Amino acid sequence: MVNDMMRIKKGFELREVCGEHIIVAYGRENIDFNKVISLNESATFLWKNIFDKDFTAETMASLLCQEYEVDAETAARDAQALLDEWIKVGLVCS
Amino acid sequence: MKELIKRLIRALLRVLLTPWRRRYQKRNGIVSNQPRHELPNDAWLGEVSQMLSEGKPYAIYVKGYSMRPFIEHTRDRVFLEKRETYNVGDAVLAQIAPGHYVLHRIIERQGDNLTLQGDGNVRGVELCKVQDVSGMVTQYIRPQRIIPADDPKLIRRIRLWRRLRPIRRYLLFVYKAIV
Repeated sequence: MVNDMMRIKKGFELREVCGEHIIVAYGRENIDFNKVISLNESATFLWKNIFDKDFTAETMASLLCQEYEVDAETAARDAQALLDEWIKVGLVCS
Repeated sequence: MKELIKRLIRALLRVLLTPWRRRYQKRNGIVSNQPRHELPNDAWLGEVSQMLSEGKPYAIYVKGYSMRPFIEHTRDRVFLEKRETYNVGDAVLAQIAPGHYVLHRIIERQGDNLTLQGDGNVRGVELCKVQDVSGMVTQYIRPQRIIPADDPKLIRRIRLWRRLRPIRRYLLFVYKAIV
């Protein structure tokens, strides 16, 4: 799972409403998706950089290290936790 | 005093209509009181309008009681799609004033001029033009089932509901005891 290539599902996109960054799922294929996911600053940064690309938890950790002052281990842990959350909610697929 | 009498009658109705209430809730789901994260209505519907204009159909939760009994507050969602044109009977998302949106039904059309009314409203109507409409409801999404907007049974019910407008206030009173 750690190194599986993942991709954001079709129909999911980031939008900004009243200063909040939220993920919406449009299209008939996502009609059952009834959540609106709010992203914090770092999650928004990651989303913008991996959108429309294949990525792994390592890709995300590497992006966090480049953008924020964080050690590799913390970045890897946080990236994996965020990716697990996205998988659980149904935002990404392999 | 009047309010107290109304409450008593409603409570009595709830008891008397218990079998129908249970059947209705089993078929259509229960209104959820779960806390949910909410965005300011107009800002959110403005964003949804933008998505529809980009050709991205989207399902939204409905807030408010103005489309009872067909769409229930926080229980139901509706799938919205942009169309070339809109007709009487369509439930549409429209901008009726700058930055102010409603999800109501078209009850009259004259050329490009539309008159809207919420199914759960007794008197008030809104006026707008076809170009103010962002999209229409094509699916009614209830917790237990999805009903397409072109379902013949639903269309008959909507037409009947329109004809019963003179007694709509009393029908809604009974409906509130069931939901």
